[in-house]
Amino acid sequence: MVLFSLILVLMIFTSLSMGYIHIPLMDIINILIEKIFGNFHFIENTNEIYLAVILDVRLPRILTCTAVGAALAVSGGLFQGILLNPLADPYTLGVSAGAAFGASIAILLNLSAAFVSVPAFAFTGACVTLFVVIFLSYSSKNPMSGLSSNNLILSGIIIGAILSAGISFLKFIANEQVSVIIFWLMGSFASKTWPDFFAVMIFLVIGLFISIFFARDLNLISLGAKSATSLGVDLKKVTLILLVTGSMLAAISVSVSGIIGFVGLLIPHMVRFVTGPDNRKLIPLSMLAGAFLLLMADTITRAVLPHEIPIGVLTALTGGPVFCWIFKKSRLK
Amino acid sequence: MKINLHNISFAYDHDIIIKNTSCSFVSGNFYSILGPNGSGKTTLLDLISGFLRPGAGDIDIDEAPILSLSKKEISKKISLVSQDYTINFPFSVKEVVMMGRHPYIPRFSHPSTHDLNRVDATMEICGISHLHDRKINELSGGEKQRCVFARALCQDTPILLLDEAFSNMDISHTLQMLQLVKKSVKEKNKVVISVFHDLNLASSWSDALLMLKEGEIQAFGNTQDVLSQQTIKNVFNVESIVEFNKHVKAKQVYYPSV
Repeated sequence: MVLFSLILVLMIFTSLSMGYIHIPLMDIINILIEKIFGNFHFIENTNEIYLAVILDVRLPRILTCTAVGAALAVSGGLFQGILLNPLADPYTLGVSAGAAFGASIAILLNLSAAFVSVPAFAFTGACVTLFVVIFLSYSSKNPMSGLSSNNLILSGIIIGAILSAGISFLKFIANEQVSVIIFWLMGSFASKTWPDFFAVMIFLVIGLFISIFFARDLNLISLGAKSATSLGVDLKKVTLILLVTGSMLAAISVSVSGIIGFVGLLIPHMVRFVTGPDNRKLIPLSMLAGAFLLLMADTITRAVLPHEIPIGVLTALTGGPVFCWIFKKSRLK
Repeated sequence: MKINLHNISFAYDHDIIIKNTSCSFVSGNFYSILGPNGSGKTTLLDLISGFLRPGAGDIDIDEAPILSLSKKEISKKISLVSQDYTINFPFSVKEVVMMGRHPYIPRFSHPSTHDLNRVDATMEICGISHLHDRKINELSGGEKQRCVFARALCQDTPILLLDEAFSNMDISHTLQMLQLVKKSVKEKNKVVISVFHDLNLASSWSDALLMLKEGEIQAFGNTQDVLSQQTIKNVFNVESIVEFNKHVKAKQVYYPSV
């Protein structure tokens, strides 16, 4: 755990130094020390451009990316636990489709002039979708069927399908703005700002705390509804709280950076090979691994590749084959 | 410890599962619930454990209505071995048994030495110590059932509900587990309510039988009084011969071949 955190910090520094302008590690450390301790007497030694590049461009982007990776991985872990399905991911309940629909409307109505409106619309879309999905699968009468994983997955798929059709329709009537919608949907961390980072971070901290708080209950849920209840888990309450937590984490991530697939599905899955299914270890480690992997992908697309490609494409293209390899290897054992 | 069911009814939408049932269970007894498929046996257990809410009537444990207790309080009084013992993620056997201590371990803390000892001892007596590192989803049906059984025993509750808990165990393990349960009923004054399909096992191990048919109690009382050709014909619609067997020291049921 400590090791993983150290690796992540190291990765953040490496990533900071890489890019169109290469900045030496020592300068980065100097700038950060000066900024944090308000000690500006080194400032003459460091380049003005470095200062701007680090503090206004790279750091917010890198930290936002780290936080989004962490949020998506935690969310994926929660969904796999609640839905008792290792194939579940943060988008299973249609949260991503809801966010995408909201964002498409905002782009279409040209609300993007105002700075917050696309993310705000995306977030609202995600929340409304979640509410509808829970409403569809909820039944107060029968605790066996209310909020059961089958009901939730089915409702999520139906709502997701309706929204996808809606998005297609919006694209159809969008004319020249269709490319804006498509690019938004593919996801990117380009030109992220400090407010983006703080928004994700607030959700991440709260979400992580709730997930750890209920991690043991989440373990018990895998015994089945009856056994979990007989061991003192208030199934309905815990399921609902964790569903909302996971969806909010996914919603804020999508709102800030578009739809980035695969992190939420893959990371908890791979981490489970290492830690086993105990959510008390799985969730925090998934968080670190998710942050690390997404940052690595973003650094590659930002600094290594000659042309920036959408991060969602990159995570799927690189993560997919790795996953296939791990999956096959674990089967052969 | 006394469980009281007073005029209980339960229905899924319009299918009435339990019809106006009253009965009580007292500590120091091993009860068996018998009845054909779909007669409401599992539903009755779910009502007692507070998992389902009765449509009408009250269930009290020592005068306290079950619905007034929190899930946590109930989990310190009632443990359940459910019919469905599939576990969806590859937890180790020891982790599964440790889950039985969940009600006693506060949030964010590690299991105490007492919890650890309890888990080790229970695994020992259930004969699954050698499996402790194995993944639960790689075990056979009978082994899995013994793990789930151990988990319920670990929960240290005065009331134990068994829903076909022995359905996949071989005869040697079935007898071993029944012996364990019977001992805890007599020595620790527990209440055990078990759903059975094997009338002969039920007869030789339980103190009282409850015969259920279409959601209604057909007979409830001392095992040797309840078990008769007439009740079996009445409840299961099966011809049988019931006689006292001196080796088993209980009545046994034989089914004449047609």
